[in-house]
Amino acid sequence: MEASTVSAPDREAYAARQAQLLDALLRGDEPPPGFDAVQAGAAGSSLRRKRGRLVALAWPALALELGDTFATRFDAFARAVAAPRSGLPLEDGLAFARTLQARAELGDEARAELLLARATLRRRGVFVAAAWLRRPRSRLLVVARIPRLGTLHRSLLRRGRRAG
Amino acid sequence: MNTTRVTWQLGQGAGWRPQLDGAIARADGLGFIEVVAEAIGAHALPAGVATAMQRGLQVVPHGVSLSLGGAERPDRGRLAHLASVAQRVGAPLVSEHIAFVRADGRESGHLLPVPRTREALDILSENVAIAQDALPVPLALEHVATLVQWPGAEMDEATFVSELIERTGALLLLDLSNLYANAHNHGYHALESLERFPLERIAYVHVGGGCFREGVYHDTHADPVVPGVLHLVEELFSLTDVPGVLLERDDDFPPEAEFAAELEAIAGAVRHGSEHRVRA
Repeated sequence: MEASTVSAPDREAYAARQAQLLDALLRGDEPPPGFDAVQAGAAGSSLRRKRGRLVALAWPALALELGDTFATRFDAFARAVAAPRSGLPLEDGLAFARTLQARAELGDEARAELLLARATLRRRGVFVAAAWLRRPRSRLLVVARIPRLGTLHRSLLRRGRRAG
Repeated sequence: MNTTRVTWQLGQGAGWRPQLDGAIARADGLGFIEVVAEAIGAHALPAGVATAMQRGLQVVPHGVSLSLGGAERPDRGRLAHLASVAQRVGAPLVSEHIAFVRADGRESGHLLPVPRTREALDILSENVAIAQDALPVPLALEHVATLVQWPGAEMDEATFVSELIERTGALLLLDLSNLYANAHNHGYHALESLERFPLERIAYVHVGGGCFREGVYHDTHADPVVPGVLHLVEELFSLTDVPGVLLERDDDFPPEAEFAAELEAIAGAVRHGSEHRVRA
């Protein structure tokens, strides 16, 4: 193969055009000049749907809780918030779940899932958090992540009974 | 340039996914599986992949994150991982896409098309050469299905792909579902386009399922293979023999019997097409 045939400025302009298209698709904005808006809209929806599908698989309780509304809610979230650099659906879903939690729209099963995800995604140091959950039964869920031990969780039932 | 000749026979294949492990282990007559390279860890292979290797199936690593069509040169770490997977599975070749998946640090989460221009060909060719230098086995390039097209195309898809294969000496991973999708969604004739791809450079063929929504064909890999795609399989084999044909299923996994029936439908289309060719 011959040495580099493309000079650096060409790659820069090319990068800018790709970034422009990518941003428009991800956010659902008007595409750059020359693109068909209907095609771009379909392509953008498809990207957000694929992203949402991966999040739903990583967050089964959240997906179950949102049911048919998952797709439209995730689409709205995905237009506003870029996927994490890690590309991890668990981390992507954490940001999504937090937006729902901030609006008090998260049910107890999904809140439990959120605590576990926060612990799992913690990369250094000790993580301990607890949440009082009412469903499927009243309990205090305590989640901890300790280096070298991994993620631990215990549900403390009312009247002091313990369960795993 | 390192032009690779197609010398191996792969036969019928299936994209290995954890959810299809049982169906693939019990499928009749498979010659190879494809593994998504990024889904393979740095150390151990999934048990199902190791078992398939012991049964004598060939394994082709399929990359989805190199972004060969991107403005940046392919990442050394990603290339090293693909090379390592190829070595660990004793792969006859690896495959990647003619697409970009990130720009300016942002991930698309899927394969996006490149402009069909001379400039894009220059950048792609250079990126492909970098990848080829870092890989221990031949590289096959797959054209992607796309709902959106860049303005200012200087050539059609078959010409663009032919040029790239010619320039880089890479092999072609012909995806008949992608061809079908693009022809349907962008209004051209799939068969006429098929005939102008560099068929003699085919490493293997992809076939995947899809569905129609509001007149648009979506290459979902989560639905059955549509008749129009099976027809293209038959047409392809009536034109030429091909080293392998692989079924991709990535979601909404069907019951085992349904998966086996899909494989059989593809094998049937291969047989029909081949009979036409032999008779002609």
